[in-house]
Amino acid sequence: MTGATGARHRFRRLGLRTRVTLLFAVGSMAVSVALAAATYATARQFLVHQGETSIEHQAFVNGSLILADLRSPRPNLPQDLLNLDNGPNTDSVVSIDGKLFASSVTGRSNPVSPSLQALVSHGTPATQFTLSSGAPALVVGVPLPSVNAIYYEISSLDQAARTLRFLLLTLALGALVMTIAGAVVGRWASGRVLRPLANVAQAAADLAGGELGTRLDTSGAADLSRLAASFNRMADNLQARIEREARFTSDVSHELRSPLTTLSAALGVLDTHRDEMPERSRKALDLLDAEVHRFEAMVADLLEISRFDSGVAELSLEEVEAGELLHEALRAITARTRQADSACEAGIPVETTAGAERLRLLIDKRRIERVIANLVDNAHTYGDGVRRLVIEAPDPAHVRFVVEDRGPGVRQDERLLVFERFYRGDASRSRGGTEGTGLGLSLVAEHVHLHGGSVWIEDAPDGGARFVVELPRGHEQVPGPSSEQTGTRQRGRKSSPALLGTAS
Amino acid sequence: MTTTYDSAATTRILVVEDDQRIRASLRLALDDEGYVVDEAPTGEDAVASFTANPPDLVLIDVMLPGMDGFSCCQALRRESDVPIVMVTARTDTQDIVNGLEAGADDYVTKPFVMKELSARIRALLRRAHPLAQGDTGDMASAKFGDLEIRQDEGVVRQDGTDLHLTKTEFRLLCELAAHPGKVLSREDLLDRVWGYDYFGDGRLVDVHVRRLRTKVETDPANPRHVLTVRGLGYKLAP
Repeated sequence: MTGATGARHRFRRLGLRTRVTLLFAVGSMAVSVALAAATYATARQFLVHQGETSIEHQAFVNGSLILADLRSPRPNLPQDLLNLDNGPNTDSVVSIDGKLFASSVTGRSNPVSPSLQALVSHGTPATQFTLSSGAPALVVGVPLPSVNAIYYEISSLDQAARTLRFLLLTLALGALVMTIAGAVVGRWASGRVLRPLANVAQAAADLAGGELGTRLDTSGAADLSRLAASFNRMADNLQARIEREARFTSDVSHELRSPLTTLSAALGVLDTHRDEMPERSRKALDLLDAEVHRFEAMVADLLEISRFDSGVAELSLEEVEAGELLHEALRAITARTRQADSACEAGIPVETTAGAERLRLLIDKRRIERVIANLVDNAHTYGDGVRRLVIEAPDPAHVRFVVEDRGPGVRQDERLLVFERFYRGDASRSRGGTEGTGLGLSLVAEHVHLHGGSVWIEDAPDGGARFVVELPRGHEQVPGPSSEQTGTRQRGRKSSPALLGTAS
Repeated sequence: MTTTYDSAATTRILVVEDDQRIRASLRLALDDEGYVVDEAPTGEDAVASFTANPPDLVLIDVMLPGMDGFSCCQALRRESDVPIVMVTARTDTQDIVNGLEAGADDYVTKPFVMKELSARIRALLRRAHPLAQGDTGDMASAKFGDLEIRQDEGVVRQDGTDLHLTKTEFRLLCELAAHPGKVLSREDLLDRVWGYDYFGDGRLVDVHVRRLRTKVETDPANPRHVLTVRGLGYKLAP
């Protein structure tokens, strides 16, 4: 890569706004410098020309005065030189037969260059620019052949030079101001032009973040409204697609329920007659029964999860005490497992940190009961049962429900994966192998995130895994006694500041 | 597993369900438990069948073509206080509350476990004949302010006029009246009124209390009789 293309690449990498600003600055600088240069050149030429003309004129006049003096019977040259009507910036020198008489008393060396002397001594008037003690000066030589003399006049151009310097400074300052103004205008204009683009960027970011309803305003400038319209069309398609997918899951689950209901009812009939069946049929019936139940649970979980996916999951908040909630969840589990004729260890120890079980929470009771039930189920399936349940209050605004199991714990690299849908870890770890719906823990995460809480896995102090659910205790305002049953409904928030939501 | 309820052979259950196979399987299962089953594929048919053969209990699917389950429930409720079980599609939507508000006494969600449905049906039928056991105590009548509860007659009067309560609402009021001033938790009420402890859902109690208030309270938003004790349950006050 050559240096030029490298620079071009670096330039492209700069922001569009910076590039436009830079281009404006460079452009206005180029224009103002060119203007300044032209102005300076013209002014300089004018000043010099004018100075030259007037100095020559003056020199001829003075030359003729000197000639008259030299022709007079009593020439008094030095006095006459002083009498010449010269400004302070002009020196006069008269050379008679190579002898010099100067008006200045400062006694400097002959300022007239030999080349000019040679030129004038041939009888032609001449001028020459020179430097007189550091300042530019014009020397005019007027031959006075009739008296064999030459009149030189040395006029300092210092005044003109100073004027030009001042002009140059002014023009440079002007160019600088123009350049800065160009940069400012460029920055402002690019900002104005790019503002709709910034809106598009923000909208795209929102869309990517899951805000599927994000749309742009199409009423702006014509060329931008085309972009906005295309963006909106894309967003429409995306939203329709995502909704169609979510609806598909929901529809499939809904459609599965009718045959399942039939299956379940028919199984109920068979079950009442199981005593009349031969052993083999009874075994087949038990298998059928267990699988239909699992199928039912799976469809129920799929329906639940499809409601999250389509964004219609709503919190139905009510006020409960943490301890009461936990015990109700346990009671429901015991009831369910008793119903399914499977062994469930009675009396899971529940521990609470000081007064945490009396904490009042404003939560969706059904969802949090499911969360606890799913975690307990998980402990039974993968963790050799529940060691203990804990209610903690890490701070006044939060409550934690902790489920500790007796299993080998969860490997660090699986601690987020287990919350994925249908995640099956190391199959050997599962006692039953095919128990559960594969959606239990992902539903835990969804329910918890809907509450704006988070869930994570730690190592329990005495071995095993420790599933921690942390929930905000809910809004400060508590519903009045008469409106309690109504509860508050709240739209599901897709993006909750939860641990699992941010990790990927 | 046959119902222990007397004269089960004459207990009629009306199944309102548009899916023919579900109707068939429900008929099989309920028939097996000794009930007489009437089927209705639509809400309109249900209303017609209801008048022709008054059932002892109605099972209504929420999603029906034409007249939906809620309207069907309301239509039947206008005519009778027959126990109604709603079959809803979802567990967390307004469906359940809507069904209960429409006058249902209980609900199951699809797909349901047959044993659970049977248990609910038995409990509802038992409740429909409360006087058989007299298990709410020996209280024949009680007065709470302007409310007069005559359990022996099965009526509630407010300032002398009869109030039309469903059997579930009546049982709820009687249970609260049997323990004057005492707070009954939702679980207590589920156990005593609905007759099962673990299938229950606090919403059942809450919605029925709300509906009861609209009938017995002059201002249901500021109840004077049926009071909520936050975090604990409900109590009846004079």
